[in-house]
Amino acid sequence: MQEELPHANWKHKLRLVFGWLTGFRVEGNSMKPTLEDGDSVFIEPANQFRAGDIVLTNHPFKKSVKILKRIESITLEGAYFLVGDNPTESTDSRSFGAIPAKEIIGKAVCRLK
Amino acid sequence: MFGKLNKENFEIAEAHCDAPCGVYDPAQARIEAESVLMLTKKILDLKRPEGDDEKAHKAYANTLARFIAIKEERAEMSKHHLLVLWTDYFKPDHLAKYPDLHEIFWKAAKLCSACKQEVSLQHAQELMDAIKRVHEMFWESKGKDVAWYTAS
Repeated sequence: MQEELPHANWKHKLRLVFGWLTGFRVEGNSMKPTLEDGDSVFIEPANQFRAGDIVLTNHPFKKSVKILKRIESITLEGAYFLVGDNPTESTDSRSFGAIPAKEIIGKAVCRLK
Repeated sequence: MFGKLNKENFEIAEAHCDAPCGVYDPAQARIEAESVLMLTKKILDLKRPEGDDEKAHKAYANTLARFIAIKEERAEMSKHHLLVLWTDYFKPDHLAKYPDLHEIFWKAAKLCSACKQEVSLQHAQELMDAIKRVHEMFWESKGKDVAWYTAS
């Protein structure tokens, strides 16, 4: 069962205003049904993650692109194996392999419709 | 300050596949393979002109060259579409369901090369058969019942 993201509350919005969280707009269907195309997510910078977290990471081959996926597992080397919640419409670690921790920007803490 | 709450100011986080549209269809490979099959037949049926009519010989050479060039191009395009399906659409969970998936794609790609190197009706037909199998796996994996058909 995929963990849902809570809706943004006033505390999240206040943290966004103060710059402790950053807002991103979701483009694409690979995180359906958790996140729909056009939803927004608030990302919290972090350097430690667990399996099940939705994370924002740099695309391994397109450096200007940031992608949103869920951590399926953590490899023995400490890299993160990322998979979309909608696996039939997602290009993720199944194609490009596990992502090193230094490439992960932060963790999604809530969503905004 | 409160402009930070405006969604229009948010950066984009991409959540899609490398084909952002998510649209795949083995029909692309099938159409190209059908062209290869038809061109192979046309090359085999093409008769060399008898006699010394230079104009007829030049027309023959031109037609044969065009058939070969288009067969080469179409076989390469069919191979390209197969490789996109193999590497981008099909995922490890599909492999669990279709253990011969890699073998089917590998043979199909090899047949595309064989169709370029040879004028072989047998290999052109085997390529069509392999793509039919890809068509079946693909649509079954999407839970849709799509009948196999050909354009020619």
